[in-house]
Amino acid sequence: MNDPFLLFDLLLASAVIALAVATLSVRDLFASIVLFVIFGLLSALAWVRLSAPDVALAEAAIGTGVTGALLLKTLHHMRFVTGRLGQDAAESVTPAQPVPAPVIWANAALCGLITLGLAMAFFAAPQAGPGFEALVTDAMPESGVTHPVTAVLLNFRSYDTLMEVVVLLAAVIAVWQIERGLSEAPAPALGEIWHGFARLTLPAIVVVGTYLLWKGSEAPGGAFQSGAVLAAVGLLLLLSRNYVPRPAHRGLARWAFVLGTGVFAAIALLVAGGGREVFEYPAEHAYSLILLIEGLVTISIAVTLAALFHGREPVALAIEEKRHDT
Amino acid sequence: MTIDPITLAVFVPLFGAIAAFVFPRAAVWLGLGAVLATCATVLGLAREVLAAGEVVTPLGGWAPPLGISLRADGLSVAMLGMSAIVGLLVSFGALDALRDLRQRQYFWPLWLLLLTGMNGVYLSTDIFNLYVMIEVIALAAVGLTVLSGTKDAVRAGLEYMYASILGALLFLMGVGFVYLQLGRLDFAGLIAAEPSGALSAALALMVIGLLLKTALFPLHFWLPAAHANATAPASALLSGLVVKAALYIFLRLTTYMPLPDEILVTLIGALGAGAVLWGGVQALRAERLKLLVAWSTVTQIGLIFLAFARAGQVGLTESWKAAALLILAHGVAKSAMFLAAGRIKDEVGHDRIADLDKSDIRPTLAQFTFALAAISLIGLPPSLGFIGKWSLMEGAMAAGYWHWVAVTMIGTLMSVAYFSRVFAGFLRFDRMRGELAEHKGWALADIAPLTLAVAAISLGLMAAPILSFIELGYPFGELP
Repeated sequence: MNDPFLLFDLLLASAVIALAVATLSVRDLFASIVLFVIFGLLSALAWVRLSAPDVALAEAAIGTGVTGALLLKTLHHMRFVTGRLGQDAAESVTPAQPVPAPVIWANAALCGLITLGLAMAFFAAPQAGPGFEALVTDAMPESGVTHPVTAVLLNFRSYDTLMEVVVLLAAVIAVWQIERGLSEAPAPALGEIWHGFARLTLPAIVVVGTYLLWKGSEAPGGAFQSGAVLAAVGLLLLLSRNYVPRPAHRGLARWAFVLGTGVFAAIALLVAGGGREVFEYPAEHAYSLILLIEGLVTISIAVTLAALFHGREPVALAIEEKRHDT
Repeated sequence: MTIDPITLAVFVPLFGAIAAFVFPRAAVWLGLGAVLATCATVLGLAREVLAAGEVVTPLGGWAPPLGISLRADGLSVAMLGMSAIVGLLVSFGALDALRDLRQRQYFWPLWLLLLTGMNGVYLSTDIFNLYVMIEVIALAAVGLTVLSGTKDAVRAGLEYMYASILGALLFLMGVGFVYLQLGRLDFAGLIAAEPSGALSAALALMVIGLLLKTALFPLHFWLPAAHANATAPASALLSGLVVKAALYIFLRLTTYMPLPDEILVTLIGALGAGAVLWGGVQALRAERLKLLVAWSTVTQIGLIFLAFARAGQVGLTESWKAAALLILAHGVAKSAMFLAAGRIKDEVGHDRIADLDKSDIRPTLAQFTFALAAISLIGLPPSLGFIGKWSLMEGAMAAGYWHWVAVTMIGTLMSVAYFSRVFAGFLRFDRMRGELAEHKGWALADIAPLTLAVAAISLGLMAAPILSFIELGYPFGELP
């Protein structure tokens, strides 16, 4: 018992596992989502204990916050489709579709196999752990930033990061193009009290999100985490009906979606030449270029995530008009 | 500012996608322009590869393993070329096939993002980068699947997305295992690594993920519905090109990290044989034309895996060529066939195989295209499919794997049988009396699929130059 945190770690690990089991086994979808959110928060804590604060921030902001909101929105829609929307909260249990036992057992066997393999690989892996650490440390002075994770994401392997932003762009295009003949639930709304809550929290969220972005060059943080936090602003605006998407806003929204990807890719190409490769930022400008890219990518991520939460492309339909009656 | 064609091959379609999304009114022309520009870029890259054997660009000036390099050799340029040319012709086909304004606007950004992802895969030398690229492909492909907007398509698209994401996650987990063992993610690291149990486990995870994405029996469950319910150009892209990206990664990985065991190789072959037989039976039973064509994709994927089923490094150094030829042949012929099937459906108004001969409209040119594509898929000479099948069987015979030869023969006979069902519908045994509008079903839109089908046949005559081209830069030797 040398490490005072050992007991805490053990508790945390068992709690994470117990929450995972509970999330999978609980019958009500709403309870399942809530458990999943708690599971995500504790996982974020586990990442902190594993000395991976960047992953912890991402897990908390994206894996838990945005994903939880998307899941709840979907549940709202499902309740609307099945006619359970207006029911009393206590009664409106949305049962999960039962999964056949053979499927469960096959899944369990496969997951067990993978876990076993992971454990074996962990114990077989060299203890010192080869990795990028030495290489990253050597290359840090030329990266333009002082936080190694940011250096890897936005300089050494910025091609991967660009493509991850493209993934998000593909997601929002795919969501927008789905034919909107489907029935749609009235947008969920916050009540009276929540307006005050929104007013109080919005500035704080903006500050936290911007801080995460700004700090990213020297400490954990960065575009993805910051974008997810700022997306919460969009979510609150949508929920409090301070902003109602309209067909006329589509053009602007499209620009906002592609802003990060476009500028990132354009900078990558424009720095090439004079003996430099694509993505090779000149050392004296590396910091400002990385900050510019991160800032614009953050805006795109925030807008995209908020749009994904809203779901449909705002098109002129009769339904649109009825939305203001609540 | 001078930028190599190798980088542009990824960036041109990316910028095209952005432009087509931001300016939806001009999406068609922007998209078509971007595909044309991509073709030009690939042509430039092919010239460089012809001159130098291989082209390598370290992005950001950071050499692997810290950074990521793009690398082009004969095989990757062949894949790029197939995607670009098939893509261009499918794009021309899409001009006519997509009538709905919404479909016209959204087809182009999704298809160009798809092209970005596929080109990225063919130029990648890093397994984490490959993961990101297959995610780009997956989302764009799901978008294209549901483009038709029918309820069946949305359901099939959702199933496709689940399968695709599960496959990508398995692949990612394998990537994590590799990083844990080797501390690097580039291909050179994989080649240099000592084979070990943990690395084999990593390879197994990645391979299962890829098999799910490429729809090898019995992981093919998502494919028929997804490919049959999409719009014709989307089906052509999904069936002709998208499944090839995962196949290509499989081809590369299994040569850099050889499958450790004869039993595993036999298992791959057995799954391939299962796909050939099961897909054949399902194609014989299919009631709709597009479903039949989709099941034929399942059998063709199985056939390509039969080509892999030759153990050891020696087996692979020979059999990858047969696999590559079959991949190219299927890409060209299947996209032609799906476009033709879409044309037939457009003209006749339905695609029920049993009622094809009862229509008074006769889309002769589309039917001719379908038959030409079928010739290549069945593997009749002189088509490219014939050359691929021939080298598959030649290799299997040389290695003494007579059972795989038998499976290939049975699969060929089955494909003759199920395509004959369609041909019988094209012929008219006087079941339809009265005025025949023989020339009604022709349109300018038939040109794109017809060109593809003619290419599928005539490329077989160019098999020798194609073979020597894909060996350029010797894909499976030592990386620099």
